[in-house]
Amino acid sequence: MKKVIMGNHAVSYGVRASEAQVISAYPITPQTHIVELLSEMCGNGEINAKFIKVESEHSAMAACIGASAAGTRAFTATSSQGLLLMHEMLHWAVGARLPIVLANVNRAVGPPWSIWTDQNDSLSQRDVGWFQIYCESNQETQDTVPQAFKIAEQLQMPVMLVLDAFFLSHTYEIVDIIEKEQVRKFLPPYNPEIKIDTKDPHSFGNLAGPDMYMELRYMIQEAMEKGLDVIKKVDDEFREVFGRGYGLIEPYRCDDAEIILVTSGTVASTTRAVIDAMRGEGVAIGALKIRVFRPFPFEEIFAVLSKAKKVAVIDRNISFGCHGIFFQEIKSALYGRTDIPVLGYIAGLGGRDVTPGVIREIAENAISNKNPERYINWIGVKR
Amino acid sequence: MIKKVEFKTYREMPIRPMTVGDMLWNLTGSWRNVRPYYDFKRSPCIVGCPTSENIQRYIQLVTENRYEEAWRTIIDNNPMPAVTGRVCFHPCMSNCTRGEYDEPININAIERSLGDMGLENPGWMAKAKATGDKKAAVVGGGPAGLSCAFYLARAGYPVTLFETDGALGGVLRWGIPEYRLPNGTLDKVVKAIIDSGPITVKTGVKVGRDIGLDKLEKEFDAVFLGIGLARSRSMDVDGEDGEGVEPGLSFLRKVNGGEKVDPGKKAIVIGGGNTAMDVARCALRSGSDVTVVYRRTVNEMPAIREEIEEAEKEGVKFEFLAAPKEILRKKGKLAGIVFQRMELGQPDESGRRKPVAVEGETIRMEADRIYSAIGEQADLEGISEAVETEWNLIKADEATGQTGRKKVFAGGDAVTGAASVVEAIAAGRKAAEKIIRIFTGRAESGEAEPATVGIDDINTDYFSKTRQTKMPRIPVGRAREGFGEIHTGYDAALLHREADRCFSCGVCNYCDNCWVFCPDVAIMRHENEYEINYDYCKGCLVCVQECPRNALSTREEGK
Repeated sequence: MKKVIMGNHAVSYGVRASEAQVISAYPITPQTHIVELLSEMCGNGEINAKFIKVESEHSAMAACIGASAAGTRAFTATSSQGLLLMHEMLHWAVGARLPIVLANVNRAVGPPWSIWTDQNDSLSQRDVGWFQIYCESNQETQDTVPQAFKIAEQLQMPVMLVLDAFFLSHTYEIVDIIEKEQVRKFLPPYNPEIKIDTKDPHSFGNLAGPDMYMELRYMIQEAMEKGLDVIKKVDDEFREVFGRGYGLIEPYRCDDAEIILVTSGTVASTTRAVIDAMRGEGVAIGALKIRVFRPFPFEEIFAVLSKAKKVAVIDRNISFGCHGIFFQEIKSALYGRTDIPVLGYIAGLGGRDVTPGVIREIAENAISNKNPERYINWIGVKR
Repeated sequence: MIKKVEFKTYREMPIRPMTVGDMLWNLTGSWRNVRPYYDFKRSPCIVGCPTSENIQRYIQLVTENRYEEAWRTIIDNNPMPAVTGRVCFHPCMSNCTRGEYDEPININAIERSLGDMGLENPGWMAKAKATGDKKAAVVGGGPAGLSCAFYLARAGYPVTLFETDGALGGVLRWGIPEYRLPNGTLDKVVKAIIDSGPITVKTGVKVGRDIGLDKLEKEFDAVFLGIGLARSRSMDVDGEDGEGVEPGLSFLRKVNGGEKVDPGKKAIVIGGGNTAMDVARCALRSGSDVTVVYRRTVNEMPAIREEIEEAEKEGVKFEFLAAPKEILRKKGKLAGIVFQRMELGQPDESGRRKPVAVEGETIRMEADRIYSAIGEQADLEGISEAVETEWNLIKADEATGQTGRKKVFAGGDAVTGAASVVEAIAAGRKAAEKIIRIFTGRAESGEAEPATVGIDDINTDYFSKTRQTKMPRIPVGRAREGFGEIHTGYDAALLHREADRCFSCGVCNYCDNCWVFCPDVAIMRHENEYEINYDYCKGCLVCVQECPRNALSTREEGK
């Protein structure tokens, strides 16, 4: 059934269809609708889950960790400061190998206080070991939830799906609502071999000496590396049931492009319109949307970008003292294998609109830029 | 013991960081340098009780619904909780740790509940048979004598109990009014004690007059004197002898015996002790306007606080800092009394400030009845010739009651001067214990007293503040109209509400805190006992910290 719903509710419907068993969250703008609707669903029996109220995001993740360790399907949602407060527990979920799914609504980090979108909250959690999937539409957001659970449970790794504040979270779009009866064909019940069980007692998260720690870390990296294939396979399986799939990355008119704009999140949609307009003007330009950021799909990206003459990366984030974060990763994907120049653009921080005009400005700058060594180009800063 | 698990490759490891063997091989107890151990201490209420009732224990038993055991716990130190639960001045409650936190446990009311249960369940009282080859005489059927007789009989020694009056009870019968201790209750208490073992009662026999002490010494292997203070002390003022002036005890004896009394329209009671309060309140109930006159202030009054407060509520008036000087008579009829105005001077040997006369200041009050209650004396007729006395009191060892005569023991008010029922009970019991030790030739047990716990030792974070559960009572207005018992006792719910407030100072009551908190799971819980597994106790002392009641102590290892 199709409904016109906001991006946040698309997450809630995805969680409902995935039959999560434990939901624990603390409210924060712009995420609150997600768990608000889920709590109503718990209340009216639409979803048979335990909703745990907590006093902070740290506790929300801790509750999910406990629930997941006990062998249940656990979900939480948060944003910005809330995600940062979870930081310690995000590490824990990875180290303990717990397949928790988290929806993070990208919101700029304060101060100055901001409720509007940018990616610094989730990207600052880049190295904790969570899978990160950046969504572009409400439909994709909903569909990514059961995918995330399937990926997580197969690999025993936590998965974060990410959506832009307001541009997606509060924007209403038509969504083909998935139901649990269909999802059951795609996502089997979660029943892990290892779980907290009084009949088979073990101590979890206990001490490991230097003789064991590295091996456990090695296995996490192994799971990440396997992850790219698993994500593709899961996406294919989803497509078989629902007819929709999203891939690791999404190239748009890249085959014969001389210049490719690399984007993520909602900026990708706007960029496609600009590509169409500029193609109409005869410019050989294409766009590449990065959907899966962790694990990073190096080979897939190289295969697309290595055919172009120039690459411009639009980052709605900044790693202070370095560059845009997607820019860093794209560079390392190409490093030592090609001489294609890569240009970095910082735009849209703190919710500033990235309009078709802004994207065109970036494209034109990239085309005319005679100084490809310039790694940071700030777009629209009042200087 | 399971050996350590070693992995050759990561493929042998579980993906989750978790134990696959156990750590029992790792005796972490060897890391410990301080050892916690269960060390039950003494609750201060027990220290405060003159007869050392194990109050903590019986309250804990109440919380566990083990009433009979709770009652037996009292009986080990006091054979008449139904009496003390009504009339005791309860120094246990002044000592109660909880009193320093919110309000003391109403131990007195809990004791009364158990005492009454004991009367309702006569089967609880074990019946002792005469097994001993020695026999004892007990003189005086008051609290000291009944207590001594009870403990001797319980040990199997036949006792002959001599009482001057027609009925047993002593001061409990003739001195304490029915609104505090009904005769019916006292009768049951006395009967339970007499029925508990080989006790022969001889009433109407006054030792020293009807039968000589030397004769008892010959016939019995031990003699206990618990003769109390049965005589009112005279005021030593002009006009004392004559119509309208009466010793308070004589008045009380009439009231308690059911005799008709006429306390006049305006009665004055002179004195500040419990007798004065009892006389005043009985006179009030018999229709008189009553004023109590005391030579010091309310702060120095020896009467039980609650009794003073009750008297005041009922309408008894008070006049302080006045001592009787002269009784006035008009045509031989009592007209009034003149008092010397006093003020407080330096503290005397009792620690109370001594009243001294304010030169030239007197007050005059009208009265048609005057009751003197300034103190009582022992009636030592036929006794003082046989045993050593001092200040008209029998001289006896404080701890054992032994007098200068080997076979003669004494205890209670006749030894201490006016004291309390519970102290008399304690003296009777201690004398009995000494007599039994002499009979059996056994030495006193030399066990060291455990340390006493105070408020600083209690982890008060575990207790929310609560009010004391007051004992239900009839309203003052109705109380003053008759002699019916004022306090009506707890029901089961109130009893438990109050018992549950007890901190159980220094003694484990199985709250599970240590067991729950131990981070090494080194505390094992057994039936009504915990055990520390020192193989794995690292000595973090969380158990000691989190014990709400200081039932654990610590000791450095190797010391």
